[in-house]
Amino acid sequence: MVKGVPARTTGVITVSGVLRREEMDLVMNPHDSKALQAAHYLRQAVGGKIIAVSMGPEPKIVPIMQDLYEPNQESRYVPRMPIYGVDENIVLSDRRMAGADTLATAYALSAGVKKIIDIHADAVKNLINMVESGASAAEIERKAEELYRENLIPNKIYSTLSTIGDSAVKLFAEGKITREELLNRLHSALEDVYNFIIIAGMKTSDGETGNTGPQTAEGLGELLGKLIPHVAFVRDFEIFPDERIIVASRRVGNLVQRLRIPLPCLLTIHTEYTPKIPPASYQKKAKRNGYRGQVKKVKVWDADYIGADPSRLGFSGSPTIVGPGMEIGKPPVQKIVGESLVFERDVDEFEWRGGKYGPFKKGDLVQNLPEELVMELREKNIIGVFTLKHLLDELFGGVKLVARAV
Amino acid sequence: MSQGQFSGLSLEELSQYKDVWVYVVVDDGKLTKPSLELIAAGRKIADKIQQRVVAVMIGYQLDNAVKEAFEYGADAVLYADEPWLKSYICLPYTRILVEMVKQYKPYAFLFIADELGRDLSPRVAYRLKTGLATDNIDLEVEDYFFGPTRTTYKNTLAQIRPDFATRIAKIYTPRHRPQIASIRPGNFNPLPRQPGRRGEAIRFTPTPADEDFIIQIIEEEKVPKSPIDLENAQVVISLGLGILRDGEGRPRSPREGYELAEKLATILREKYGLRVEIGATRALIYAELKELEGIVTKDRQVGQTGKTVAPEIYIALGISGAVQHRVGMIRSKNIVAVNLDPKAPIFEIAHYAVKDDLYKILPKIIEYLSGGE
Repeated sequence: MVKGVPARTTGVITVSGVLRREEMDLVMNPHDSKALQAAHYLRQAVGGKIIAVSMGPEPKIVPIMQDLYEPNQESRYVPRMPIYGVDENIVLSDRRMAGADTLATAYALSAGVKKIIDIHADAVKNLINMVESGASAAEIERKAEELYRENLIPNKIYSTLSTIGDSAVKLFAEGKITREELLNRLHSALEDVYNFIIIAGMKTSDGETGNTGPQTAEGLGELLGKLIPHVAFVRDFEIFPDERIIVASRRVGNLVQRLRIPLPCLLTIHTEYTPKIPPASYQKKAKRNGYRGQVKKVKVWDADYIGADPSRLGFSGSPTIVGPGMEIGKPPVQKIVGESLVFERDVDEFEWRGGKYGPFKKGDLVQNLPEELVMELREKNIIGVFTLKHLLDELFGGVKLVARAV
Repeated sequence: MSQGQFSGLSLEELSQYKDVWVYVVVDDGKLTKPSLELIAAGRKIADKIQQRVVAVMIGYQLDNAVKEAFEYGADAVLYADEPWLKSYICLPYTRILVEMVKQYKPYAFLFIADELGRDLSPRVAYRLKTGLATDNIDLEVEDYFFGPTRTTYKNTLAQIRPDFATRIAKIYTPRHRPQIASIRPGNFNPLPRQPGRRGEAIRFTPTPADEDFIIQIIEEEKVPKSPIDLENAQVVISLGLGILRDGEGRPRSPREGYELAEKLATILREKYGLRVEIGATRALIYAELKELEGIVTKDRQVGQTGKTVAPEIYIALGISGAVQHRVGMIRSKNIVAVNLDPKAPIFEIAHYAVKDDLYKILPKIIEYLSGGE
């Protein structure tokens, strides 16, 4: 999961506090590069493919996603990374998704991820149905090739790669495995579809909440009818493909926890994460679990396509409302060394040309006094320019006495 | 049109939600300092709406912590105390908190905005389909007028957090309960301890479910505590990228800037008996300068992604004062800013402004403070 965040952070909020995302240049959230590195590690270790999903206005997000195919190239939108790019890109874009808080955003993302899972599951189920209903090897092969071209089934089911001569459908066509064995392998591939791992950055540089990761795990669990565990702020992790588990480290309080998390799961990646290099022995299996390759066109999906309930999207599906912003205020008085005038000693209330002034305390800032009075008081050394010595006496003068008394 | 297309509860339903809950964390049988701050934050809100502060805790062997919660200002404690809940894991903790909320209906539920709170609270909020305002530095209670349905929501929590640009924003969750918010450590002072103060202890007895054990803990190890204690310092001297050049625009070794700051710190510690720490901005730390390697480390970072501090005296040296830095130190009682650039935003919040070269000013300060007896 990646997010487009403002490249600059001024002049893009409306008076009512709403972020005018459509008016900003968006770049990829910098924290997401760690998520991409983690995804890249996983693809090296176990195969599969990396699908990047983002929600946001299509014209702003598509350029970011486009550059995710080649993150090792110079880009305006994505920090340069020494990794191979993602395989597919999906943008969830719909006017009804605008103005979403983290709850509504996580809901949309969960619906998008659910759609991705469904599409891949349907592809395998499609083949399973054909095999079960007795379709000929040629028919099955034709369908498999079509799904393979669409990047929907892994190499081990069907592949045109010369290095993978033993895909299940080919073996079946050559009479080397039975229909039953083909079904077994398809069912295992179907299971793999549900052994997904969702990776997110630990937070975004604009909202800074870090909510969307854990909330998407919760939202997806709701849509799938099965709890999806999550671990936030993962500093280090490793996948063990045979056990289908991840071992991850993270900090809570003053503890480092090492956790064992079964797939499917969601991880958010801490900025201090450095990817591991998977053992070479994983390579062969990873290749078989891999897919055809990159699908270079960014797909744009709307709320209807992902089956999202519009009432749970965008502003109307968001429990939180951002109120008007306030500037962080100035202190009531500021003393500027070399500029401000202050009283050098305590002065009782006094009269001057019919007006009453004071009382003043030593160190009080001279404010709103008639200019001639100020001149008079300066001549008498009752007021003077605020110096570094004044500053230090004010701050530490009292402390000094306390320290001495002890 | 009452609620129309907008999700949420009716005014009648909203009024059934009472009490301010605070999710507190126990370490070695004691409440952590941010937990005590959270009770104080809850107290502020509960007093405004005339409700109770309920400290919520999950763990094992909580007797002492329950007692502490009362003494630090909780009116009631709702707790689950079971051996299988000894360590934090999101799934069982989420499940139990959601069950508690459904049974007792709190008005607000506050969490600490640390790694645990940020792991747990989003999940709890989603399952309850309510709002979550993260990273707040203050809380208020206000009437909120919701334009689209022309409804005034009385006594709504105003959740005040640093905004993404240059400001502070208020977040409201008017139509949903509980209003869930996480609070950054360092923004509330713990209430004075009142030994012997008691309240209602409510033990919650959850039954373990299979889902509680999906994630397993292989091991837990204590992180050695950093010797740098920014949060409890009376004086914080912080360094920014401004230490890289002097008033003539000549490059200076950041090490020189650091050493001047350390010299000042030593005088304040030894002569004045003050607790002093050296802080830094994110920009300086992430510049990963060789000269500062191993000295200006991440545990010195002050700001939105680092520590929030509120010392008696905060001395900002060569810090321009981006909002992300300011939210981490704005509550300091006396802010002294030394910066060459008279337009640096740090001066907008400084009580004392020194618009000068820190390489000229620091030696003078050091001399003056060490010259006195």
